[in-house]
Amino acid sequence: MQEKVKDAPSSQFKWVGTRAVRPDGVDKVTGRARFGADLAMPGQLVGKVLRSPHPHARIRAIDVSAAANLPGVKAVVTRDDFKDQPSEFIPAGEMMINYRDVVRNVMAREKALYEGHPIAAVAATSTSIAKQALKLIKVDYEVLPHVIDVVDAMQPGAPLLHEDMITAGVEPAPKTPSNVAKRVEFGHGDVAAGFAQAEIIVERAFTTKPVHQGYIEPHACVASVSEDGQADVWVTTQGHWIVRAHCARLLGWDVGKVRVTAAEIGGGFGGKTVVYLEPLALALSKKARRPVKMVMTREEVFRASGPTSGAHVHVKIGARKDGRIVAGEAELKYQAGAFAGSPVQPGAMCAFAPYDLENVKVVGYDVVTNRPKVAAYRAPGGPISEFAVESVIDEIARKLGMDPIALRLKNAAKQGTRAAYGPKFGPIGFVETLEAAKAHAHWRTPLQKNQGRGVASGFWFNIGGETSVSLQLNEDGTLSLTAGTPDIGGLRASLCMMAAEELGVDLDRIRVQIGDTGQLGYNFLTGGSRATFSSGMATVEAAREVIKEACKRAAKLWELPEDAVEYMSGGVRPAGANAGKHAPMTLSDIAGIAGKTGGPIAGYARINAHGAAPSFATHIADVEIDPETGKATVVRYTAIQDAGRAIHPSYVEGQYQGGVAQGIGWALNEEYIYGPDGRLQNPGFLDYRVPVASDLPMIDTVIVEVPNPRHPYGVRGVGETPIVPPMAAIANALADATGVRFTDLPMSPPKVLAALDEARAAGTAKM
Amino acid sequence: MSALRFVLNGEGREERAPPSTTVLDWLRLSARLTGTKEGCAEGDCGACTIVIRRPGENQFSAVNSCLLLLPQLDGCEVMTVEGLSGPDGPLHPVQQALVDTDGTQCGFCTPGFAMAMFAFRDGGEPAEAALIHEALAGNLCRCTGYRAIVDACRKLPAAPAQPAAAGGAGSVSADGPSLGAHACGGQAFHAPATLAELMELRAAHPDAVLLAGGTDLGLRVSKQQEAFARVISTQAVSELATVRAGADALHIGGGATYTQALPLIDAKFPAFGALIRRIGSRQIRNLGTLAGNLATASPIGDTLPCLMALDAEVLLRARGGARVLKVEDFITGYRKTALAPDEIIAEIRLPYLPAGRDFAAYKVSKRFDQDISTVVAAFVLRREGEMVGELKAAFGGMAARPARAAALERALAGKPWTPAAHAGIDALLAEDFSPLSDHRGGATYRLRAAAGLVRRFQLETTLTGAPLRVEAL
Ligand SMILES: Cc1cc2nc3c(=O)[nH]c(=O)nc-3n(C[C@H](O)[C@H](O)[C@H](O)COP(=O)(O)OP(=O)(O)OC[C@H]3O[C@@H](n4cnc5c(N)ncnc54)[C@H](O)[C@@H]3O)c2cc1C
Ligand code: FES
Ligand code: FES
Repeated sequence: MQEKVKDAPSSQFKWVGTRAVRPDGVDKVTGRARFGADLAMPGQLVGKVLRSPHPHARIRAIDVSAAANLPGVKAVVTRDDFKDQPSEFIPAGEMMINYRDVVRNVMAREKALYEGHPIAAVAATSTSIAKQALKLIKVDYEVLPHVIDVVDAMQPGAPLLHEDMITAGVEPAPKTPSNVAKRVEFGHGDVAAGFAQAEIIVERAFTTKPVHQGYIEPHACVASVSEDGQADVWVTTQGHWIVRAHCARLLGWDVGKVRVTAAEIGGGFGGKTVVYLEPLALALSKKARRPVKMVMTREEVFRASGPTSGAHVHVKIGARKDGRIVAGEAELKYQAGAFAGSPVQPGAMCAFAPYDLENVKVVGYDVVTNRPKVAAYRAPGGPISEFAVESVIDEIARKLGMDPIALRLKNAAKQGTRAAYGPKFGPIGFVETLEAAKAHAHWRTPLQKNQGRGVASGFWFNIGGETSVSLQLNEDGTLSLTAGTPDIGGLRASLCMMAAEELGVDLDRIRVQIGDTGQLGYNFLTGGSRATFSSGMATVEAAREVIKEACKRAAKLWELPEDAVEYMSGGVRPAGANAGKHAPMTLSDIAGIAGKTGGPIAGYARINAHGAAPSFATHIADVEIDPETGKATVVRYTAIQDAGRAIHPSYVEGQYQGGVAQGIGWALNEEYIYGPDGRLQNPGFLDYRVPVASDLPMIDTVIVEVPNPRHPYGVRGVGETPIVPPMAAIANALADATGVRFTDLPMSPPKVLAALDEARAAGTAKM
Repeated sequence: MSALRFVLNGEGREERAPPSTTVLDWLRLSARLTGTKEGCAEGDCGACTIVIRRPGENQFSAVNSCLLLLPQLDGCEVMTVEGLSGPDGPLHPVQQALVDTDGTQCGFCTPGFAMAMFAFRDGGEPAEAALIHEALAGNLCRCTGYRAIVDACRKLPAAPAQPAAAGGAGSVSADGPSLGAHACGGQAFHAPATLAELMELRAAHPDAVLLAGGTDLGLRVSKQQEAFARVISTQAVSELATVRAGADALHIGGGATYTQALPLIDAKFPAFGALIRRIGSRQIRNLGTLAGNLATASPIGDTLPCLMALDAEVLLRARGGARVLKVEDFITGYRKTALAPDEIIAEIRLPYLPAGRDFAAYKVSKRFDQDISTVVAAFVLRREGEMVGELKAAFGGMAARPARAAALERALAGKPWTPAAHAGIDALLAEDFSPLSDHRGGATYRLRAAAGLVRRFQLETTLTGAPLRVEAL
């Protein structure tokens, strides 16, 4: 069942809110869509990367001479080919980056900091020659002690990844280096005073494991640098302007010399917002003077591209007997991988965001460990902290004998609530998702044997940012819309629908493409649930510019003042006193006279989109547990979320369902497993279990629409919130079924069985 | 040495390429058909799914092109996503269904799903949830949560009676396999058509790689980029493909795939059939063979506990003669067997169970489908009234090789087959096995799960009306 509530406002539109056929669908089912690894350039070489087998080692020397002399090898690059970068943090999407670290992550310098860290790269005429060449590279390593676990890494005396790392955000600054890169703190009120009023306090520690975005398409690119230094990159990425910026910076080239084209992207979920292969391919191509293609194997994707953090989270919540929360406190320790920059800050900001609290305090630590540097993953940081908070809230409701939805309603943030992370909320739809959950048939359906039901809510900010869109009116009246944010989840369709709505033309009159970095002004990446929001806003602006220009041209032809012409459903006509003086003209007619009235007509919007609004969700999960093996199966799932407005409901539902599917994997099975040697033991889909069809129920969705007043169509951005609630919803369902509170992810069969056995022995198990 | 001959998307092809070229690489790099995707090169994601129809078969089967070597296509009809809709025809019904239900998000998995759905529809199965899940178990999608794709399967119109019409592919036939050996780039590939030829070749080249479906061996090519100097394929040997219900036993040819063997295994040993359905995915079962599973002798080879509990035998053949071994004696250690360099597995014999025996098989893994086992178990029970006459209990995942649980079997013999037996099981299994801890499960969990399976078997065999089946563990 897929429902929409608050449907009415959408019906004022012709296209927005309908389930129109998506423009990219056909190319995807015929195999025509061209992804990162699908392009071949004439004369291209194969690029391969030599990776560190050690989780932590000083690199004394690298000898590439034998490799470079192998026939068929055209170029070899190492740390010597990349200039060092000064330390400077700059915002990159929902995370911060530091070029000093980026240059070290794409190619190890002083030390290898994780198994899989690039040490050298070669370009050769075939894959087998390239692989042979890698074997000929001699690396002199001094193997160092390593640290994998976040709590171990924080201990005094732990092996230091960066000997000069002084914890930021602590006053006075510590005198000795550690693996703690940063401390952050958010909150307001007085938590001690709050807890003093509490009639019930629940306090628990939680752990989560690093999980990978698991996009099915591995990282891939082709780079070509010409003799005069003009560089082209074709790449699977969430942001090609970001790729351009990073590559130009790391290679010391002019930004304008680098042109990046975004291929069709086979999933990203945040993981394709950074560079891995691109700078290497460019450096190799420059040396070899031939195009170089690089594609990661699945194993490389797991070992060397960013999963999200594993974490330790401690949460304490106090409430009165009536369910009103009087204080909330959390401590978050997120591992960042080899370089600073875990999503602990957004995690800390999100932790209590759905609730209206007088006393709240969250402290977070960003901790480096000998693992691949984390990358953004759908609502980065949020799912971890919110899993812990939503679990404790559920426990409080259980202990008070209160309905968990009622307890959430009692504490829910509303318009005007001061968020735990600072600002006051505008219109938000959290209460509406809770009410929709309460009213949903799922909430009332009786459970079967060995089943439990859980509910959990979630929050994500969403972002705007720099965006450019161009809209050309072609000579026959059709339109070409060029956007710069790669389309992962149906963006082209949504933009097309908003443009058609504005212009009053049919969808098939508009073709949308994703332009390369030479075709548009700067575009920030597709991430932070911003693409439909920001590019949509820019599209509307560009369409309005076309409309304005169309009126101007008609005015010129009709020799009327501009404001005497109005735009109505796909054309112009004289308005007001002049109404009826001239026959109306369609957009095609206007296109026909464009040349003689001043030249081509186009709209070009360059904006920094503001006014992104958060999206809240409430999910209900039914889970069945096998009492003999501990295996948990999600048998029913309903995801309810505020979309602001669903431009294309099917894609919004697709985002909800996809996020839930990843959340179920995170909750029950997915994890990075390290051996004592610091090496990843499950770098493949056979042992890193992402859900298949039979692991999931038919996920139900409910779209709540509380429009965002700061977007022309009310859009909020929907892509990230759906992954936030599932872990807690499932843990809460497990608690309901078994009487056991699960605090360690994933809740895999061995863990569930062990906990059940323990509870049975203690007489506290419900099964 | 002749060229390889096959039909690709309705066009006859004659190709020469080094035999250790995967079909996926050939499609993408040589034929430049990039619709077929590589997501893992390990048989796990299904993005590389294509369909093939082997000589003499009337139905297309989905297979992983990343595991398949190009010469394995010899004589086949092959279809990739590019062939579905025909040159200027409308979309194929599976494509239309995926468009209509918005079954694509990023679209990277879509070609693989389209081909798996094509094979599903070609097989003429009803669009029931369980069958759809089984048909899609070999394909990962990270974007959609599968709902829209499952809906697309439900909406598929039934296939026309003559499936050959699809995309016109069936209308052109290969001129048959090239029958023989291919050599290119210093690598040789032999595909003998008769057992006699196979035995000659095996004797002449005891160091050649013997290839069946390639779902174990293919990984060495696709993942480790190994190039085999010489391969002898069992695939074209008609004698080895037979699956026959004899008077006392089921005879499964040493080249028979899981899919070929399943109908008769289902008929004679339903619990074994249900277990086999959980080996890999359909793509894997359309290629993989029981003989390959046996010869690999992995501690978690899923068929081995069943073969042991059922007292199965292997017929080994060399040029000079043949011998028969019990499966238990055939497996000699961790990935070690009694197979001599010049021998092949010609047949696996499964003796029918005498009346009144209870037989069950169980697989414990993290996911129901397409997952490697943590523990596998098979039990055969002869009862004497309320008592255990004889119990055969074989386990995989509990030791370096799959094995019978001798202490357990001994202790339970002659004892009441009631819940009273439950208490001692954990200790007995701990006597029989000291399993390894690895990332698939700790030693304690393995012992605990194995004991749970014995208890479950006891309950299922004594609760009246409880069906014997592989549990959705
Ligand atoms: C994605 C994936 C999932 C898998 N899932 C499972 C699973 O769930 N359970 C499981 O048990 N296995 C699984 N496997 C492993 C594999 O599919 C099985 O072991 C299969 O039975 C191997 O058969 P094959 O015909 O493909 O063997 P091949 O790869 O062709 O050969 C394997 C070995 O057997 C030898 N061999 C083959 N035929 C003969 C013969 N007639 N005589 C003598 N030797 C012979 C070969 O020389 C080779 O050493 C999986 C593999 C993959 C890639
Ligand atoms: S590429 Fe993943 S199964 Fe073949
Ligand atoms: S649509 Fe992206 S993996 Fe399936």
